[in-house]
Amino acid sequence: MTRSSQPEISVHEAVGTTALPAISPFRRTVGAMLHNPLAMAGLIIVGLLVLIALIAPLVAPQNPYDLGQLDIMDGRLAPGSESMTGMIYLLGTDDQGRDLFSAILYGLRTSILVGVVSAAIALMIGAGIGLISAYAGGRTDAVLMRIVDIQLSFPAILIALILLAVLGQGVDKIIIALVVTQWAYYARTVRGSALVESKRAYIDAARSMALPDRRVIFRHILPNCLPPLIVVATMRVAYAIMLEATLSFLGIGLPVTEPSLGLLISNGFDYMMSGDYWISVFPGLTLLLLIVGINLIGDALRDILNPRREG
Amino acid sequence: MSNPILSISGLTTSFRTGGQWRDVIRDISFDIGPQETVAVVGESGSGKSVTAMSVMRLLGGNARSSGRIGFDGRDLLSLPLEEMQKIRGNRIGMIFQEPMTSLNPVLKIGDQITEVLMQHRGLDHATATTEAVRLLDKVRIPSAKARLGEYPMNFSGGMRQRVVIAIALACEPKLLIADEPTTALDVTIQAQILELIKTLQQEEGMSVLFITHDMGVVAEISDRTVVMYRGDIVETDTTRQIFRKASHPYTRALLSAVPQLGSMAGQPRPLRFPVVDMKTGEIAPVPPTADTVRHDIAPVLKVEHLITRFPVRKGILRRIAGRVHAVEDISFDLHAGETLSLVGESGCGKSTTGRSLIRLEKMTSGRVQIDGKEVTKANQGSLAEIRREAQMIFQDPFESLNPRMRVGRAIAEPMIAHGLASSSEAIRRAGTLLEQVGLSAAMADRFPHEFSGGQRQRVCIARALALDPKLIVADESVSALDVSIKAQVINLMLDLQEKLGLGYLFISHDMAVVERISHRVAVMYLGEIVEIGPRQSVFENPQHDYTRKLMAAVPIADPTRRQTRRIADSEIRSPYRAADYEPAKRQYREISPGHFVQLTVEK
Repeated sequence: MTRSSQPEISVHEAVGTTALPAISPFRRTVGAMLHNPLAMAGLIIVGLLVLIALIAPLVAPQNPYDLGQLDIMDGRLAPGSESMTGMIYLLGTDDQGRDLFSAILYGLRTSILVGVVSAAIALMIGAGIGLISAYAGGRTDAVLMRIVDIQLSFPAILIALILLAVLGQGVDKIIIALVVTQWAYYARTVRGSALVESKRAYIDAARSMALPDRRVIFRHILPNCLPPLIVVATMRVAYAIMLEATLSFLGIGLPVTEPSLGLLISNGFDYMMSGDYWISVFPGLTLLLLIVGINLIGDALRDILNPRREG
Repeated sequence: MSNPILSISGLTTSFRTGGQWRDVIRDISFDIGPQETVAVVGESGSGKSVTAMSVMRLLGGNARSSGRIGFDGRDLLSLPLEEMQKIRGNRIGMIFQEPMTSLNPVLKIGDQITEVLMQHRGLDHATATTEAVRLLDKVRIPSAKARLGEYPMNFSGGMRQRVVIAIALACEPKLLIADEPTTALDVTIQAQILELIKTLQQEEGMSVLFITHDMGVVAEISDRTVVMYRGDIVETDTTRQIFRKASHPYTRALLSAVPQLGSMAGQPRPLRFPVVDMKTGEIAPVPPTADTVRHDIAPVLKVEHLITRFPVRKGILRRIAGRVHAVEDISFDLHAGETLSLVGESGCGKSTTGRSLIRLEKMTSGRVQIDGKEVTKANQGSLAEIRREAQMIFQDPFESLNPRMRVGRAIAEPMIAHGLASSSEAIRRAGTLLEQVGLSAAMADRFPHEFSGGQRQRVCIARALALDPKLIVADESVSALDVSIKAQVINLMLDLQEKLGLGYLFISHDMAVVERISHRVAVMYLGEIVEIGPRQSVFENPQHDYTRKLMAAVPIADPTRRQTRRIADSEIRSPYRAADYEPAKRQYREISPGHFVQLTVEK
């Protein structure tokens, strides 16, 4: 009875502004993002990086995959050097004479593709399992959540290493590895918020109207679990990109012919001590910028989507 | 009045929202004399709590107050913070609404009281402990000394509120501010706490500032009353005068919307609330209620020996250690066009009964028929059909609508899901339904958060009507609403009953509302119906001890009928039983046609 006779407090009632235009939760979130300077900074950073990754073939001075365009004579040139053919290497070259600026643009493409695709697949699998777990409850819930526990008790990098050792190299392989290491986080998150939501009265209301289970799950529970899911997904994309970079750095992720940011860092690592800092540092800075940008967005989303702020 | 204890003059408090200052209370002034109780009454958003918080200067950084709050010859608003700190809790005590959260759950009760005594009164530990026992005795907590070492979780809501009061009294304050102290409590417990505050005020010679939304409580406790509406004081007078002849239209509107126990004497049928014109204060005549009960056809709801128990499992093997006997052997009928109310206090099983009927809760045994169809044995398909006939309206209008769904879609959804209408047809009907509950069809595009509480409850009613049900289970559906909104929603429910011939199972703890709306009443206690019968008969001639106790506890919104009653300081008992417990078979006696009373069994 703690809430029953409590008089309601409604801002709209108090100030008499019930005639507000209909604003969807989505548009409210976007509006709030635009008013948050840190979120804007994150959005601009990530937006620019994604944009140049998308149009990389158009803006890159050189195709780093095309060995015909590379000249081994241009190897390990400092930033700003001129090539044999008169081209300026803005960020220098690596040991094979590859233009680092172009390599970073193409590397961004690979990194973002791997991060986003793996996060999206992991999200769908995880959210599905989480919803089933929460709605079914009982033994199903117990079994699924123990699997999640087991999965989470191993370090992600260890699981990815083992999988890649079995599967071999390649973009598809690394996406599989990333999905396997990530889905459990989504399942845990969705189950948690689905459990909270399914205890609320509007779910009772939906059930008392005899709506089919499928409808209750997808139309009522899932949309209300989205806020925490979106926050987790944002953070997890960043994590997936880092994990991919780590694996590539260790030399078991992507083949040398498809340089991601991690691989570029790894390539330059050998020359760090001999003063050729640029081969590692510039890809590293790009990676840092991307991760910071995504995390800024994630932080802002977490603040905005906090249920206590919803009116 | 000679030398008021507290003198508020020209107090304005504003909050900053989105960079703008907005006045929440405007230029209010009133005094509280020595040993006087002043009630500040108003609906949500009237600024009554903000007034109390302004006096204590407990509002955060985004609030500012101007004016003067005179206390003990000093202006509280201009005092430096450390001086204010000495007054808070020392000279002015405060009790809050929620007894469940205003005590620290990880500290022993004794420590929480002695802490205040040592801090504010500089007592040593031994004296403080003795003093704590004296305080607990004072607030009538039995075997106080033994309970010092217990934690808040060992105390019931009423007992916790007593502890909170004891802490507030620890420093012998001259003024006690009570902010809705009984709102979260059951009615019999509320009566005990009100009685306690009255007694303590006399013993201690305190003044009391009592914040409440409940006119009944006002009539019970206060000498003078301040009525607030949207941040302004609309009327200040002695409580008697306000109830006898309120001068402001708002006060009159508020009073006419207050359900009064006993006001229905001699009325066989439910009655709408009178509607007061907010400008002129004229009271429109109440249209007579038609006889809607259809005794000529089979009852729309038939409940026979319904039992719902929840097993409580313990240990690794999840053995059943006991059961909560939420609903115990209940039988009743409900006819079309009839309102049967289930009343009782928290934990009496009234909500579980409602939920069991439409199988939101699994019943243990018994037989339930809705419109002649068996609910008990229904499979998924026929259950969907039955649920179409019986809809539910829930307590909290903020919780029972999906926050991410436009209300038009929410109302249309059941029609689409049951294949009763095409998508566009359903949306069109949703508009019609919104108009039927007194909203406009254009509101269908809005989200729930854009509605006020009363409007949301109307949306919930529209949604419940979408499937054209014969029976509506209303679970505390008006309890969370403000008095005037509550009256409007009840009027709406009566209108709909007349128009559509709906049967209502009205579940409520509020006796005064129940008296207004029901044809028949069933009183529940510990999962059982102790008394059931025609409303007039039960209210005018209550037979069971518990019914009488419940009625005596309801505050009466009439200061001239103020009674000094002796409410036994008893607690509501728990329906938890050992696993092998077999309840006794109950016997009922019919004392007048249709009026049955459970016979008390000798223990």
